Amino acid sequence: MPGLLEFNNYSMGFLNDEGQVINMMDNVSFAVQEGRAVGIVGESGCGKSMTTLSIMRLLPNNAVVQGGVINFQGTNLLALSQESMEEIRGKDIAMIFQEPMTSLNPVLSIGFQIGETLQRHQPALSKAEIKEKVIEQLRMVGIPNPEKRYSQFPHQFSGGMRQRVMIAMATICHPKILIADEPTTALDVTIQAQVLDLMSKLKVNGSLMLITHNLGIVVEICDDVVVMYAGRVVESGSMVEIFDHPTHPYTRGLFAAIPTLTHNQDELYTIPGSVPVSTKFLPGCRFAPRCTQAMEHCYTQVPPERELSPSHLVNCWLEFEQRGEG
Amino acid sequence: MAAYLTRRIFKGLLTIFASVTITFFILRLMPADPVALVVDPKMGLEAQAAMKAKFGLDKPILEQYAIFIGNLIQGDMGVSFKTRQPVMAVIQEKMPWTLLLLIIVVTLSLLVGIPVGVRAAKRPNKGFDRFVSLLTMFSISIFIPFLSFAFLYLLAYYLKLLPTGGAYTPPPADGLTYYKDVARHAVLPSLVLFINNVATIILYTRNSMQDVLKEDYIRTAYSKGWNEKYVTRVHGLKNALIPTITVTGLMISSLIGGAVMTETVFAWPGVGRLIYDSVSALDYPVLQGAFLILSATVVVTSILSDLIIAWLDPRIRLG
Ligand SMILES: Nc1ncnc2c1ncn2[C@@H]1O[C@H](COP(=O)(O)OP(=O)(O)OP(=O)(O)O)[C@@H](O)[C@H]1O
Ligand code: SF4
Ligand SMILES: [Mg+2]
Repeated sequence: MPGLLEFNNYSMGFLNDEGQVINMMDNVSFAVQEGRAVGIVGESGCGKSMTTLSIMRLLPNNAVVQGGVINFQGTNLLALSQESMEEIRGKDIAMIFQEPMTSLNPVLSIGFQIGETLQRHQPALSKAEIKEKVIEQLRMVGIPNPEKRYSQFPHQFSGGMRQRVMIAMATICHPKILIADEPTTALDVTIQAQVLDLMSKLKVNGSLMLITHNLGIVVEICDDVVVMYAGRVVESGSMVEIFDHPTHPYTRGLFAAIPTLTHNQDELYTIPGSVPVSTKFLPGCRFAPRCTQAMEHCYTQVPPERELSPSHLVNCWLEFEQRGEG
Repeated sequence: MAAYLTRRIFKGLLTIFASVTITFFILRLMPADPVALVVDPKMGLEAQAAMKAKFGLDKPILEQYAIFIGNLIQGDMGVSFKTRQPVMAVIQEKMPWTLLLLIIVVTLSLLVGIPVGVRAAKRPNKGFDRFVSLLTMFSISIFIPFLSFAFLYLLAYYLKLLPTGGAYTPPPADGLTYYKDVARHAVLPSLVLFINNVATIILYTRNSMQDVLKEDYIRTAYSKGWNEKYVTRVHGLKNALIPTITVTGLMISSLIGGAVMTETVFAWPGVGRLIYDSVSALDYPVLQGAFLILSATVVVTSILSDLIIAWLDPRIRLG
């Protein structure tokens, strides 16, 4: 089924000082279906943020798209003109960034910065109408005293409040898809829960792409899961499939690393080693150096994609049992 | 904000006071004896003493200082040793010329420097940026006196396009002709100072804009669908101008500090030139007054630039 947003064999990398392109994301394919929430999980450095920035076409200056397409409602975003892309940003695809402390302009008022999204995409609105809508939106995201807060500046808001401001800014035009890049990592636990609550409440109309390395959050909010490792999708499928049958050694490692109440572990399990930087990627399976089940050909040959069920894909050389309909 | 402003003004007054005191003692400690200049040796001894007493030169130095400060607080800066005119009147005549040059140079430098710096910052290390970097490097490192003489020789003596010095052709003409004449005279000194100062503005604007454009909030602005022109203007400029304003304040101070040199080279009738003339005449009251007005200008400039920054940056404004 064609999704609202689809990655098809998308690859990108970074230009190094010698002018060579070092690959980062390799042949990434997955889809976000209309009205569903997809969680993208993986450790730090797996390319989650690059995935989101690729959609927005807001990659760093030294990034290079190496191939593939990113379709949104059937059109390849990568082939759009700059102007058409600007038309989509903020209106159809909106984004909440990873860093709430630095993502707001320190010298412009909160109200102005939220209103800007409307001002851009609904130029017919008057200043007064924009202000009214912004205050309404501030109230929606649970900011107390919105009339007063409207004219305040980012430094007068706490981290959690700033992230609410970002949510207000990203959702005010009712985007078809909301991308949230680790919206809660910078916040403390109680605030995290409130912000997540708010996001699941606001997603009812559109699709959500939620980046996180917290699997607990995925269970609560997401319908589908994409597991990324070192720039590749290693496993993807419906949330139920992945949680009931985590298959890829990396996914299983991630699950083993979740603290649980039932398993009274003295020490929390962590996958040994860390995600390599892109200059150190192996030609074969990028997870091989950390995989307990790695075979010789894993190091040299890219693992194949296998369909375990219609809603469950895994990329690994191991033999898995096929299951029928999820 | 009110407390901030009060503190700022108080600090400014202190600075002026310190500068006035230092100038006073430096002048008195100079080996030359102004009495010899004020007092005509052909006068009778009594007349000499009366003369000394009139200028207060017969009293001990600390008492002279106390009298000087006392008068100053009442707005009396004394009388010129040389011309016997009140110092206030001398300064009032010269200061507008210094300010005129200052305003021309600063306005032009900002008007040209900011847009050029912004444009260079948008495409770092590309053609325009490279060209601008080279040019600014050249104009910052060039020695101003050398540039002054080169321009004077080329444009005034050799090509005879512009007058060699002064602020107007005496006697001053009437109406529009006078202004045109002043403008012609202002071209050379303004040009020399502009070349050097515009480079500073370009450099600071370019560097700060380059940094600002890498900030996360710039990406946020793009994510709302705005184009580069809007993002640079609305989200970049206000942040990027903060260092530019600071450096403009410093630039004005250094222009004032350099006024003696520039105004002497171009025979510009401002306070700098006045200082030059008064040093040779050992005209203490005038020197005193000239340094006072210049340090006051520096202090006012720095308060103004801090106020502009506070206005631009709510983190400072709202504390
Ligand atoms: N401008 C850049 N130039 C070169 N490499 C970069 C650049 N930006 C990011 N990278 C590299 O790309 C890889 C993926 O980065 P990305 O930010 O997508 O990770 P992430 O999965 O979002 O991690 P995190 O959970 O820490 O946010 C990292 O190895 C990072 O070092
Ligand atoms: S392909 Fe080989 S190394 Fe990679 S995860 Fe599977 S078993 Fe491990
Ligand atoms: Mg990230």
